[in-house]
Amino acid sequence: MKPQEPIPHNYTMRSLNWIFLWSSVALLAVTVLMVGYDYIRGWKWFQREFLRMQQERIESDLQAAEQDQNKTQLAALDTQVRQNEVDIARHRAAYVLAQKDLDSWEGEHYKADEDYRFAKANLDAQRYNAETSIVQKRADAAAQQAEYKRQETHVNDLQLNLQEVTRKRDAAKARVDAWLKKIKDAEDKKKELMAEIDLLNKQLETVKLAGGTLVLNFPMLDFINPTFKVDQVVIPDMFMDVNYMHVPRVDRCMTCHRAIDRPGFESKKEAARLAAELQQKLDTFQIVAEKRKDAEDRIKQLKRIQEAELDTLNPWRTHPKLDTFVGSASPHPLLEFGCTSCHRGMDRATEFGRAGHVPPNHTMEARWSGNWGVFSWGNMLRPWRYLTGAAEVDNQRRTWGWEENEFNESPMFPRQYYEAGCIKCHAGQIGVDQGEKITKAEATVELYGCYACHKINNWRFTDLRKPGPDLNGIAEKTTPEWAIRWISEPHNFRSTTRMPSFFYQRNMVDPHVVPAAERAQNIKYQDAEVHSIVAYLFAKSTHRVWQPGPAGDAGRGKQLVESIGCMGCHVDTEQVKDEKSGAMRLAKRDDFPLERNYGFNLTGVGTKTHAAWIYNWIKNPKAYYADAPMPSLRLTDQEAADITAFLLTLQKPQFLQTPVRNVDPRAVHDLAKGYLINTLTDRDAEAKLRSMPLNEQLVYLGQRSIEKYGCYSCHNINGFEGLKPIGTELTTEGSKALHLFDFGFAHDYVAEDGKHEEILHNVPSWVYNKVRNPRIYDDTRTKSYNDKLKMPNFHLSEDEARRITTIVVGLTKDMVSPNRLAAQDPHMRLIEEGRKRVSQHNCRACHVVDGRGRAIASTIADTNFLPPDLSPEGARAQSAFLFNFLKDPTVMKIRPWLSVRMPTFHFTDAEANQLVTYFAEEGKGDPFDTTRGMQPSPQNVEIGRQVFTMLRCAQCHVTTPVNPENPPVPNVADTTSLAPNLTLARLRLRHEWIPDWVRRPNEMIPGTRMPTNFPHDAASGGFISPLANAIDTPAFAQYKAALLPQFGNDPVRLKKTMGDAVALTDYLRDYIWSIGITQMRAAGTGGAAPPAVLPTQPSLPPAKPSVNAALRR
Amino acid sequence: MTFIKDFINVLSASSISFLLLSFVFAFIVFFNLLDGKLKSKGGYAFIGLGVVIVLAGLVIRPLLYLGVAYFLIMFGLATLGGRLWDSRVGLRLLIGGAAAFFLSMLDPNFYLIAAKPDNVPIGAMIFLLGIFTWIALRKAYLNDKQIAIGGIPWEKTESDEKLFTWPDLVYTEMLCMILLTIVMVLWSIVLRAPLEEAANPTSSPNPAKAPWYFLGLQEMLVYFDPWLAGVVLPTLIIVGLMAIPYIDTNPRGNGYYSFRERKWEIGIFLYGFVVLWSFLIITGTFLRGPNWNFFGPYEYWDPNKLVPLVNVDLSEIIWVRTLHMPLPKLWFIREIFGIGLVLAYVSLPPVMARGPFRRFYLKMGAPRFYVGSMLFLIMMALPIKMVLRWLFNLKYIVHIQEIFFNI
Repeated sequence: MKPQEPIPHNYTMRSLNWIFLWSSVALLAVTVLMVGYDYIRGWKWFQREFLRMQQERIESDLQAAEQDQNKTQLAALDTQVRQNEVDIARHRAAYVLAQKDLDSWEGEHYKADEDYRFAKANLDAQRYNAETSIVQKRADAAAQQAEYKRQETHVNDLQLNLQEVTRKRDAAKARVDAWLKKIKDAEDKKKELMAEIDLLNKQLETVKLAGGTLVLNFPMLDFINPTFKVDQVVIPDMFMDVNYMHVPRVDRCMTCHRAIDRPGFESKKEAARLAAELQQKLDTFQIVAEKRKDAEDRIKQLKRIQEAELDTLNPWRTHPKLDTFVGSASPHPLLEFGCTSCHRGMDRATEFGRAGHVPPNHTMEARWSGNWGVFSWGNMLRPWRYLTGAAEVDNQRRTWGWEENEFNESPMFPRQYYEAGCIKCHAGQIGVDQGEKITKAEATVELYGCYACHKINNWRFTDLRKPGPDLNGIAEKTTPEWAIRWISEPHNFRSTTRMPSFFYQRNMVDPHVVPAAERAQNIKYQDAEVHSIVAYLFAKSTHRVWQPGPAGDAGRGKQLVESIGCMGCHVDTEQVKDEKSGAMRLAKRDDFPLERNYGFNLTGVGTKTHAAWIYNWIKNPKAYYADAPMPSLRLTDQEAADITAFLLTLQKPQFLQTPVRNVDPRAVHDLAKGYLINTLTDRDAEAKLRSMPLNEQLVYLGQRSIEKYGCYSCHNINGFEGLKPIGTELTTEGSKALHLFDFGFAHDYVAEDGKHEEILHNVPSWVYNKVRNPRIYDDTRTKSYNDKLKMPNFHLSEDEARRITTIVVGLTKDMVSPNRLAAQDPHMRLIEEGRKRVSQHNCRACHVVDGRGRAIASTIADTNFLPPDLSPEGARAQSAFLFNFLKDPTVMKIRPWLSVRMPTFHFTDAEANQLVTYFAEEGKGDPFDTTRGMQPSPQNVEIGRQVFTMLRCAQCHVTTPVNPENPPVPNVADTTSLAPNLTLARLRLRHEWIPDWVRRPNEMIPGTRMPTNFPHDAASGGFISPLANAIDTPAFAQYKAALLPQFGNDPVRLKKTMGDAVALTDYLRDYIWSIGITQMRAAGTGGAAPPAVLPTQPSLPPAKPSVNAALRR
Repeated sequence: MTFIKDFINVLSASSISFLLLSFVFAFIVFFNLLDGKLKSKGGYAFIGLGVVIVLAGLVIRPLLYLGVAYFLIMFGLATLGGRLWDSRVGLRLLIGGAAAFFLSMLDPNFYLIAAKPDNVPIGAMIFLLGIFTWIALRKAYLNDKQIAIGGIPWEKTESDEKLFTWPDLVYTEMLCMILLTIVMVLWSIVLRAPLEEAANPTSSPNPAKAPWYFLGLQEMLVYFDPWLAGVVLPTLIIVGLMAIPYIDTNPRGNGYYSFRERKWEIGIFLYGFVVLWSFLIITGTFLRGPNWNFFGPYEYWDPNKLVPLVNVDLSEIIWVRTLHMPLPKLWFIREIFGIGLVLAYVSLPPVMARGPFRRFYLKMGAPRFYVGSMLFLIMMALPIKMVLRWLFNLKYIVHIQEIFFNI
């Protein structure tokens, strides 16, 4: 055949082969690279680094443990083991014989056991045969039955045999064991001594990146069972909304935050704090005996951390509050709550940049986002950096490729606002246990009345009164001259006022922000608005006439103000000493407890209003307006007159002399027209305005301005009833998308207190700067006058602003399963409703409630004259008494030596019931019981009387019955004794509470004057009775004589009783019960305010009604 | 530098549709160039058209940009002439384009958009598209030259030869496979997968963009109602593509590259694919920012940027602005001009068949000609509407809100 003509190739094979070679090499290289990139995840490095830290930690522990080791004891044990081995070797023949015997018996036993089990299996099979033969009516039924019986006997025999062989085998084993026992004992003891070291060594094996661990984590092999892996906790009660369904959160934070629930990796600072706290607990014996050793070990560990060369850095730090969070014994264990339920963040992310970390300030942001761009060398070289440990350097610099992610719907709370995370579960509570910050933040929002303008649809912030006073009677109280200056700038009058500044703020008049021409115009407009608001308020005000009181004495008035309790809610000074400089300066709200900011600062009140009004107001605040939060202190006419005289001396005449610009009619016209042309044409508006005199224009503009600024949200104002609050609803503000916040063009500014504030591009920072400087986002914006931001300036300090921000950003849409919400059971709801009343009526100004409060204490030097501590009130007070007392405190005067008065709050029955129920629920007592009618036996009373004398209770407590007339008038002795009259106890106190109180007064109310007669016995936990031994002393002979008959003349029984604190206090109770009075005056209807002094005739003509009907809308 | 960037921004922001239009002219000029007809009668007509546009630009400002673009392209092509297909010129064009692109990366705003992992492949697509179009046209040019001097196309010279499946086909295929795998792996390593947070219907990203291959459709929605831009036009695109083999029965140019033999076929296809489809994708990717506003290539994508919406209907332009009359109440009368215009537009084919396109009509036969020219007219409706929108703020030509029918 002719050889085929070679067909030429289109390509040179040689070059194709070369291309093939090199492309294959390149493919291999990129495959390796791919595996490398897949292998090198950020979190792996954190885990590896943590293993190294653990290894170091264990090695140092090991060193310490080895040093502690008892060397001589170990050596002795070693010799003993060797001795025994020698011993066995010497009697080898006997030992071998015994061992052989055991071996043969083991064989026997095995055989017998097998025979038995096989026979039993056969028997079961035979039972089946026998039964089926009967059911199928087979001929061999009888034979099968017989066979079954035979086998049964056989099995029984085999079982007996097995038991016998087992017994013999055990006996042989015991003989061998006797030989081995000696050796084993010594070895066990050695193991015990070495246990700690062994454990540490075992732990060391697991954290060393060598051998098996290395293989398990090797690239490509690590799919089997790596030790580096993503850790996660599924939180079934916290949901993510992924549209149309809710999925549980899955937290993977602990993939990098390895030590979050392991104590021992605290930062140095935290370690110092924790060590100090724990030491303090140890010193005050708050830790039970069996846990003390652990606590000491922990302190040692914390000391080691403080002395270590390097500080532990995040993400390897331990959670600083393991007792409250994350710890397995804490109320929020890691496995149930994870991390994102409080902190928020992207639960499933395992990269720093994508986990939703939010920087707390610019410095941190810059450090975090030292970004390697997509094409940068840093990114390309990542595997190299990983292998050479250059990543460690990156970690030191903390440049972690963080980037802002505006689509993340739940970014973490930055460091300043961690407590915001409490709200989603704890919003049904007034105070959060161990959450001082969040509790205070909520109280701040309540006190400053944020909820009034911004609806917050959340139990905590609903159903609260309007924070500002009623303005419907403003003309009776003050003058337009004062009101104009006040509205212009309330802080000029009182530096601590909660009334914010609406006018002449940054976006209107600040020369750095507003151009000069616009500024002049703005000032004119603002003047017009101020004047018009005042004009409206005075035009709409009632004009009742308040009758002046008798002449008063200012000196006595001052005394009264300082002593009867005014200072619980009010402050009477504006000058405080600066803690740093020592110089006097203007006070800020933060200088006083929140409770004392509840009422206004009394300075300047004489300039603000006049004698007749003050006199009537303090006599009966509810007469001025029904919702007045100020209670009545039941002042006599003379007292009221004295106080009035004193308050009138608090003058600020310079305030009324500050110049006020005249209102510019053109500005009024322009502004009014601006509103009118919303509904009218320009021409009609002009005509309408021409028909109105200036005053009418002012009233019209005032109405519109009040609407614009939302004054009615905080104050009751005629004509604005039922309007919706002015501000943005904040119910889910924390979940609002970032792009919905208008950041304007401002990046930083200097706050009023001189601090340089920066605005970060995240929601918390926006809110913080908004409340700190409400008009800041108008900077360099081009806006028309009415479009400018209107939120008033509260002049918040940094701390106040942080508190408010915490609440606002904490109001999220985050979904929590209802069983995780705090305080949801009906019992807790009753308590929380009561707590809400307590907060609303500022009870903590005078009383300690739930362990917090008594702001008045700072003004009363002698602690004996403080109003009572109500912490145990629930268990203490009878509900019937409490109800009457709350409705009308005059029904009983318990502590006549106090000059502070329990005010009459004019509670409604519902409110009083809420409070009574709260106390009863908190004290876990039934609201009502039959104990008041109990008649203790005369014998008990007699014993009680003797004990009462022996313990010398009468030194302080008076037992003379109070005047049976109602109300009971205290005896003279009562006012000096500083202890309640005991005849009141039966009406007031709970039956079971009295003995409890006598036994442990100091536990219930720390620092009480009531002495502890029955100290705790540290050993048994019971009480020690001082009478147990005293009864036998000669000094107590007469009591013994009197008591013996009550115990059937049995000194043993007597002695036994005298040593029994519980019995003794019960007798005391019975005695006290027997002397108690049983009648109490019922409270009046109380809730309704006493009728006001009605005007005889209006002194001023009422405002012309013609103004608005036509103009309104 | 800033000035140049600003100029490019302004140019791109206001003259994108003029560029489209100048491409139309450019293509027509292009045919003439290849035939060496620039100095012919037709050539003078196109230069005259350019002069008219520039003069009009003195009145309608944006038209000035159009004039500039028109002349740039026309004289660019005229200067290069046949040399455009010289491989050295092609290389220079490629290097110049790449240099401009990567130098632009120094601009932070440009970098932000162009270096986004989703956009990188589209950036690459620009170059690939250019390179392959150029190669195809170069081959066509060379073949045309051969044919002109009586030779045969290059492809024909080798079509009689035989090759082994192995190694000539399979080996090279395998090499391509390996090299592409390398590219894909490197790509996946270097560029992060553009995954975002779980979608939330109440908080959509701004701008909300379709996948890149649908950005042309999304861009069309700016100019037409959804029933047109979303239903009719896409359907016609598919139908039109399917109809091509039946309409284009030109037997010449089969199996080899040639432009001269298929001027109109290639011209129309390139216009529809490169200028309309690809260009709209590029526009949608790089030039459409937040709120679907237009942003120049170096402009910061400010989500707060506001563009006034002052578009008017044809009926308003005619009745109110020109005739100074109120709008007639009856929609039929009100829209009579628009309807007339649309009807006139769709009844162009018979006119075309008689007039300048008579030779096509004769060559193709009536059915093919009418179907083809209808499809062509509908395709051209898009740039026409775009230009009208950009020049005259024209919203709708026919706007019958009474029956929800808008064009």
